[in-house]
This record gives sequence, structure tokens and C-alpha cells, in this order.
Amino acid sequence: MPGSSKILLIDTATEYVFLSLVIDGIEVGSAYRKDIQNHAVTVMPLLDGILKEAGIRLNQVTEVIVGVGPGSYTGVRIGVSIAKMIGYLNGIPVRTVSTLALLASGAEDGFILPAIDARRGNAFMACYRKESGKLTVLVPDTLANAESFIGTAGPGFHKVTEGKPDVRTLINSGLTLPVSNIHELVPNYLQVTEAERNKGKS
Amino acid sequence: MIVMGVESSCDETSVALVKDGKTVLSNAVLSQIDIHREYGGVVPEIASREHVKGISLVFDQAVKRAGIAFSDIDLIAVTAGPGLIGSLLIGVAAAKVIAMNFDIPIIGIHHIAGHIYANNIEHDLEFPCLALVVSGGHTQLIVMKGHYDFQIIGETADDAVGEAYDKIARVLGLPYPGGPLVDKKAALGKDLYKLPRPLIDSGDFQFSFSGLKSHVINLHHNMVQRQEPFAVEDICASFQEAVTDVLVKKTKEAAHRYAVKQVIVAGGVAANKGLRAKMTREITDVPVYFPGMAYCTDNAAMIAVAGYFKFQKTGKADDYAINGDSRLELK
Ligand SMILES: [Zn+2]
Repeated sequence: MPGSSKILLIDTATEYVFLSLVIDGIEVGSAYRKDIQNHAVTVMPLLDGILKEAGIRLNQVTEVIVGVGPGSYTGVRIGVSIAKMIGYLNGIPVRTVSTLALLASGAEDGFILPAIDARRGNAFMACYRKESGKLTVLVPDTLANAESFIGTAGPGFHKVTEGKPDVRTLINSGLTLPVSNIHELVPNYLQVTEAERNKGKS
Repeated sequence: MIVMGVESSCDETSVALVKDGKTVLSNAVLSQIDIHREYGGVVPEIASREHVKGISLVFDQAVKRAGIAFSDIDLIAVTAGPGLIGSLLIGVAAAKVIAMNFDIPIIGIHHIAGHIYANNIEHDLEFPCLALVVSGGHTQLIVMKGHYDFQIIGETADDAVGEAYDKIARVLGLPYPGGPLVDKKAALGKDLYKLPRPLIDSGDFQFSFSGLKSHVINLHHNMVQRQEPFAVEDICASFQEAVTDVLVKKTKEAAHRYAVKQVIVAGGVAANKGLRAKMTREITDVPVYFPGMAYCTDNAAMIAVAGYFKFQKTGKADDYAINGDSRLELK
């Protein structure tokens, strides 16, 4: 089917590898798998399987949506590098989305607080609202002390730490952003490196 | 056969296109040296971030400079290790995307095999061949009886040569990367201090540089304490003479023991002018070759050359599960 839309979604910023192939609005293949090895090993074989099953080749994908974090630095870089290369090689549009929005998209309707552990009591968090399939952001992605952020948000928020993203919700949300220059695409780390932080101090 | 090389094991993001394991069509390198200099050494997390930032651009530079299309590529060779894991994974992931997108076979390459094969760009390897590998992470003598056949006959028990150079440079207050500066200063100084030549008469091909390094650091410290006048150039010259004496003597002995047809030097320290001069002067019965200066430091052309010969020999590609391995062994 020439001219049809073939959207590839990739997120590797959590303990899970998430891949989804959406052809003309229908998710024809997907993977959501907790990795025992690192994501670098699993992503491409999984992607290969999904594409073969759908009977298309990687260079026939018409758009990529990639989770750019926040989350695991090593993990997010793998997905972003892959999306960047697919976009560059085929000259197709790439859109970014928060990994926390991806997490929230799979949750039940209500007030949602997606959280990804960032060690030492901290987490990457945000607040979203999902209502009849419509996802909106209330508090943008933040790196903060988990307890105090959750306390401030209040008991009405449902904390979500894993779950397969819902691609229809995500694609229909206004939460994906176009990348204007593919060579400039980078993850959203939400913080500078320790070395950069310490540089100012000494 | 056109091979695309991909290298991201440390702080250079590099992509190259090489024809038939010999002719470099392009060798694009994004260096991060200026960024890491502020920290006195490579910061792994920053290196990984820089690799992601530059990854698609460096591929674009390589194909444009070579004037070819991705569909013209016959094989992709990517550094699979050893190196910084976060850095390695970016190059490996990107290489896999190209392999899948254009249905091109992909092969993982050992970084040191790349350094060795950098020599093939200017002089065809002839076997048996002896390689002296000297870099920030490695000091090894390797005998090759044929293509892609590596026998390590000796290596360092502690510091790599390049590592010792960098540490001494830091103590002497020279900016990162200090190794090349020590070489430069050594050329201006005199071998005044009687420094030890570790293991020089051991009769085998093992090395050890940490004792020598400590000796130099103590010597410098004591002179500073006693407010004795000294020239940094003389310390550099004395250190360099000691190191190169050991490297050259052992390489010469190994060349004879294994009756090799040629000696090649590989790795970042192969750019050291003092080492180049002494090797050529002392080893006269077999030819001694060094890679061109641009191919001593990390680059993807050398990975492409190694990939070509590995593929010629094994005829086997890797699959999409190929991984980066920070401690990969040379096989
Ligand atoms: Zn190297």
C-alpha cells in the first residue's frame, strides 16, 4: 500500500524496550519487554521481527516517534540513536515524546503520576490527566525527590511505574513534537552530568 | 568491495569508507578532545552524550566526502569493544540501523585489530608480522602468522604506555591529552636522570610501566620540595628515553625470535616521534612501518580495513544481536 502511513514508535528509556508499528492508524505489531540484557542487544532483533511480520522493510517506515526520556541515560541513548539514524537515512519526519507521557498513555483514565526511578530517593516524574482517551500534561517532566513530589501532587494522583504505552492515545495527543533538524536530536536528560555540576564548584 | 567503518569506543565519533581494505575514500572524525580537556581526561557520560549528538552528522560527512550512496556499501564494520560501554553502544546501534535499512552485512571488530590494520593503508601487511601495540589502554606485542590471526606474546602487567604518559603529563601540569606534549617537550630536553628501564633484560616480552611512572612522579615531587631548579623538558626526555629503550629492545628481540618479515607499530603512541625515530634507527634488518599520523589516533578507516580482512577470512557476518563489550578480547 504505497502512500499509507507507517509509524514506528520506539522507547528504550526505561527497563522495558517498547516498539510499536502503526499502519494507517492500526497497531499491527508491538513489543513491550523487560530486558535481561541491555537494550542494545534486543531492540534491533525485536524490530526486525515486527517489520517482517508486517511484511515491510525498515526503509518503508514513513515516520518515527521516539521516547527521548527522561529515564535511563544509556537506555534512552540507544532508542534516540536508532530513531535519529532511521530518520536521517530515509529523510522521514521524526517526532519526540516524553517517556513519561508514554508511561501515562497506557494508564487508566484519571490523574496519573508516571515515575521512573533515578536513584538516591529521586525520580523522573510528571503529572498527566487522561480522560476518554485524551492525554494532557498538568505538571511537566521533573527530576525531584520522589516522596516530596508525590506529596505535593496529592492523593488524587495514581502513580504509574510500568505498563505498555497506548499508541492511539499518544498519537492523538498533542504531546509529540516534530524534530526540525535531525542532526540536532538528543535525549532529554533533565540534568547536566556530575562532572559539569562539579566543575563550577572547584 | 566498499566497507563502511564505524568507531565510537572512546571520545571520537568516526565513520569511514574504505575500498578493498586499502584505499580510504573518506574518514570523518568528530573529536571531543576540546570538551574533555576541561576535565583533564575523558568523562564517560559526556562522551556518550557527544556521540549521540554527532552520530548522524558524521555518517553524512563520510558518505558525502566519499561521494557514494549508502546502497553502494558492501559491508559495515563497527568497533564492538573494548572501550567505554556507553560510547560503544551508540556506534553499534547506528551501524545496525544502516545494516537493516539497506540490508548490508555487519561485522563487529576489536578496536586493537583496527589499530593494527591502520598499517595496511600505506604498506600491505606481510606475514609473519610483529605488531607493537601502544596506546592509552594497551601495550602488547602481537605476532600475526596471517590475516586476522593474532597471537599475543607479551603485554603490560600494569599501566599501558599511553596511560603512563598521560599521568606524567598531568603531574607536570601539561594539559590533556598530555602524551603528545611529553613527546614534544622530550625533543627539547636531555636524558639527565638515570631512570630505570623496567624488565629490559627479562628475556621475555612482558612490560611494566607503573614503577617507572612512580619513579618520575617522585623525582619531580622531590625536586619541587627541595626547590631544586629543573627543566620539565629534561624530565620528559629522561622518561621518554627509558620507555622507548624498553619498547624498542623487546620489539627487536621478538622480531628475531619469531623471524618476522616486518614490524608494525599501532595505537595512539605510534604517533610518538621519539619512538618512531628510535624504532627506525635500531631495527634495521626488517622493515618497520607506522600508520600515517591521521590513522594513529582513533578513527573508523582502520576499523573498515580490519573489517574487510576479517570478512575475507571468515566469510561470516554478525546478526542484529551484536553487542558492545567493554572488555572484548582480541581473537
Ligand atoms: Zn584506540
